Amino acid sequence: MKPPVSKFKVYGNSMLPTLKPGQEVLTFNWGKVKVGDVVVVKSAKLKVQSEIIKRVQKIIDNKVYLVGDNKTESTDSRHFGPVDQSQITGKVLYYFHDATAAR
Amino acid sequence: MPFLLKLLPSKPVFAHCDIPCGIYDPHTAQLASQTVLKMVQKMKALPKDDIHSLIRMVSVKEDHAELCKREILILWTDYFKSEHLEKFPDLHELVWKACKLCSDNKRAVDEVKAQELVEAVDKIADIFNETSRL
Repeated sequence: MKPPVSKFKVYGNSMLPTLKPGQEVLTFNWGKVKVGDVVVVKSAKLKVQSEIIKRVQKIIDNKVYLVGDNKTESTDSRHFGPVDQSQITGKVLYYFHDATAAR
Repeated sequence: MPFLLKLLPSKPVFAHCDIPCGIYDPHTAQLASQTVLKMVQKMKALPKDDIHSLIRMVSVKEDHAELCKREILILWTDYFKSEHLEKFPDLHELVWKACKLCSDNKRAVDEVKAQELVEAVDKIADIFNETSRL
């Protein structure tokens, strides 16, 4: 069973300006996601082995369509298609604002 | 509460992008190679005592030879895909030779080498134009 919360450190630019590289977030892993939520996902569709972070643009049936806030610099559902809701680790509940987060 | 949360260990999560900017153009490399050639020609026509102009031209030539190599490598590593290589099997060889010509032209003042660089870069640009139409 997933823990109720997880903490992640962001790498990459695709969620700028919402999330800066180096910024940390806390996710809530037990709730349902809705359109507009920023979510952490682990999917076999992705080239990267680790989890990714994107925003939910739409939900159709059980499929979630994800897009980065920085659309010109993001690989997301526009490339790999929608992902299963079951592959969502959690949604962002809290953004840590750390002055040392690097751009 | 936020203080306690800060003590939690964090895992990496990727706000990732497989594709760089997606904007490629061989034109910068072509301009750079032509600048190298032009500088070599101008240097040869320069009066012997015009050291100031000579130094400036050497500097421009070397900078553009370096820029040319960088631009070729960006096309090679980020733009060209395996399907392009199937259609143009000598692409690797061509890129390799063009990069070596960049180094040669950075080092020397040789009009033949500069002309070879312009031609090599034009060939890469032709392949780019051909593949970007596919």
